[in-house]
Amino acid sequence: MRVNDDKQKNDYSNVWVIAEVLSGKIQPVTHELAGTARMLADKRGSEVWIVLLGNNVSEQAGTLFAYGADKVLVADDGSMANFNDEIEARVLVRMIDKYKPEIVICGATTRGRALIPRVAVVTDSGLTADCTELDIDPENGDLLQTRPAFGGNIMATIRCSDHRPQMSTVRPRVMKAPDPDPGRTGEIITENVTVSDKIDIKRILEVFHSSEAAVNLADAQIIIAGGRAMKGPEGFDILRAFAARVGGAVGASRAAVDAGWIPYAHQVGQTGQTVQTKVYIACGISGQIQHLVGMQSCDLIIAIDKNPDTPMMQMADIAVTGDIFEIVPALTAAIPKL
Amino acid sequence: MRHHIENRIYHVEILPPKQDTEKLHEDLELFTTKYNRVKESGYCACITDNAMGLLAFQGPEVIEELCLKVEPSQVMIHLNTFHTKANLHEILDTCVAQGIKYLLIITGDGSDRLPKLTPADVGATDVQSVTSVELLRYIAKQYPGKFTMGVAFNPYEPQEHEFAKMERKMAAGAEFVVTQPIIEKNAIVDELLRKYPDVPVIIEAWMSKKLYLLSDAVGYEIPEDTEFDPIKTLKQIHRDYPDCGVYLSLLGFKTQYHLISDTWVRE
Amino acid sequence: MKIVVCIKQVPATNDAKIDPETKRIIREGLKAILNPFDTYAVEEAVQLRERFGGEVIVLSMGPEKAALSIREAVSVGADRGVLLSDRAFGGSDTWATSYALANAIRKIGDVDLVICGKQAVDGDTAQVGPGIAAHLDWKQATYVMAVEDASDDSIVVKRMHEDGYDICELKLPAVVTVVKDINTPRIPTLRGRLASEKIEVPVWKPADIGADLSKIGLDGSPTRVVRTAPPPPRNTVTKKISGTSAECADALIKELRLRSIL
Repeated sequence: MRVNDDKQKNDYSNVWVIAEVLSGKIQPVTHELAGTARMLADKRGSEVWIVLLGNNVSEQAGTLFAYGADKVLVADDGSMANFNDEIEARVLVRMIDKYKPEIVICGATTRGRALIPRVAVVTDSGLTADCTELDIDPENGDLLQTRPAFGGNIMATIRCSDHRPQMSTVRPRVMKAPDPDPGRTGEIITENVTVSDKIDIKRILEVFHSSEAAVNLADAQIIIAGGRAMKGPEGFDILRAFAARVGGAVGASRAAVDAGWIPYAHQVGQTGQTVQTKVYIACGISGQIQHLVGMQSCDLIIAIDKNPDTPMMQMADIAVTGDIFEIVPALTAAIPKL
Repeated sequence: MRHHIENRIYHVEILPPKQDTEKLHEDLELFTTKYNRVKESGYCACITDNAMGLLAFQGPEVIEELCLKVEPSQVMIHLNTFHTKANLHEILDTCVAQGIKYLLIITGDGSDRLPKLTPADVGATDVQSVTSVELLRYIAKQYPGKFTMGVAFNPYEPQEHEFAKMERKMAAGAEFVVTQPIIEKNAIVDELLRKYPDVPVIIEAWMSKKLYLLSDAVGYEIPEDTEFDPIKTLKQIHRDYPDCGVYLSLLGFKTQYHLISDTWVRE
Repeated sequence: MKIVVCIKQVPATNDAKIDPETKRIIREGLKAILNPFDTYAVEEAVQLRERFGGEVIVLSMGPEKAALSIREAVSVGADRGVLLSDRAFGGSDTWATSYALANAIRKIGDVDLVICGKQAVDGDTAQVGPGIAAHLDWKQATYVMAVEDASDDSIVVKRMHEDGYDICELKLPAVVTVVKDINTPRIPTLRGRLASEKIEVPVWKPADIGADLSKIGLDGSPTRVVRTAPPPPRNTVTKKISGTSAECADALIKELRLRSIL
């Protein structure tokens, strides 16, 4: 909604988090965003509300107070057992019109990215996707949203001055979840899903849950990549084991792909994919410029190699001199299953 | 290929117009001029396939659209693994229709715009990724007797890997070899010649004065101001490798073409 | 089926060179290309037309040179294209962009399906597809990895989720956004390219699409970029770890914990 003066702006208050529900369970990104919402709400002197949409999710509502929520707004209906964006959008729009939140944050997940842009258009709100930082402008109380643009090579700060609510999506594992405080309590508000919410919606015919989410390079937070030193396709098995343990993806240098050890879809570099992940672990990759171009914007670069003097070892934030075939399995073993 | 070596027929590389060109018709005209000039000189026109992963038009489709004449011994088409299966067959069928006989099969450079053949596409169940070896084998099976296929050899890659690859390429049916550019006698190329005395080997000569552009290929930094005389080097390559053919990359058609008419001297 | 594919011309971020001093990508002088994700949308539309008949129209909002991307789509099989271009559209955020595109789709008329790529590689927001659906109040399906079936009044699609996939049926008209897994885009042929040079690409202005001027461009954008900055500089100090393999693994885990990765 366009707000033309401070009086209209002040009609909107509180920071909302839209809970991410997958396979009927509230996802960790919800807790991460609750932490951020708490920080923002404290600066604004307002409350944190978490919106929980789904089917048979009400009994999980109580778990959210420990992460900083003051209220949990629940809409529980059979029609939302699976992801039905149109219904969720209608319910959320109604909630926003009714309770007028100042800020709405949601996980930048496949569901969040389907739902929130639709809601933002209907409520005439500003939406900024994939924010890596959220803060309050001390001068006027506006939300300041920072996000990478242009393939991660500039950081843009965005403001939504004249529209409320201000909406943002944030990727999982960007914010840190607060330590839960089991002593906290709050109020649960129930919202009904009406007949008109369910008119003319999509029919979900089949749902398939995979036990292992396949992570691709573009979305992975952690990438472990192998080069010629992997010696063969079997060498990549130890990388796969590590990737599976941390929920990451496996990458490869061109040499490994050219040798036929791993499909081209995993190739990182000038003639492969460019990645901007949080953590890039290069195993036995010397660091030719064509490879570096594909990964040098990653936040943390770790190199493991027998040779301490390769370009990759020199460029890395952490350079581990040693045997990949011993170190990587040891790492995998030491990390508890997520 | 033996015929080319014995008759001192140069292989001259020509790049087809890039897809993102803003002057397509000029580029097509330039291609036609180069192609015809090479043909008239009796040389062999070698046309690249999305070199460096940059989307370009395909040699066979350009030849077909522009109705260029094909003399089978005077055309060589590069073909890499970055195609859909359907597109691969389109290219090969066009080659057959046009009478194109020589193919240089390489793994090639990919990019996010280029598709890639899958092992299933070429009936290869034993590999994770399709390389020139699987592609060669596939073409030999699908188009028996239609093509004479060559492969690349890179003396700058670790020897063991490269020679192991060469073994597999030979086993798959390769009939000639084109090396990466060399600028002086190269011990690894010498080893290649020793290992495969009956296979025609074509040495790639770097015809650009900008030697530093080769840095990526050779794997070490060549200073930008390095002095380099391509014609002098070319003559030396002929002296060092009298039983090999020569492939000219980055030949200046305006500045150098007239100079190569007398460079191939046999002692 | 009358299909509109929304495409965007973007800078070729992947081709960018690295500035040796700042170690950052040089933005200037980048070629303009068809947004890579949109090539999948165009390919899907062309395949749907091959399967079910109909027409594929490409729609884009951008500067005049964006017409080249429209032609590129025609060179791989789209029937025709329309360009929304005017200074008044400049500075649009995703709300204003989806508003303008929605209006253009209304003007094209009788559209059954709108297909968009997942996101544009310069903005990376992935918001325009659902935004268009909202402005038109049409059904939507995002992260579509396959179109299973279609009829005169509905479409059945497979949607990708983090925990698997689902198959749903939407009544037409609808908007879908597609992911790379959906198909392999065909490469333009020389013949297709030469043919695409001959077509006319009409240019529409705000008045042509009945756009409310307060809802397009900067005025129509609830969000504004107030600052851009380079990302924090790359750390130049390398922490070295060596020793036995067990020691190395331990030290590495410590580092990852220290940096809140684990």
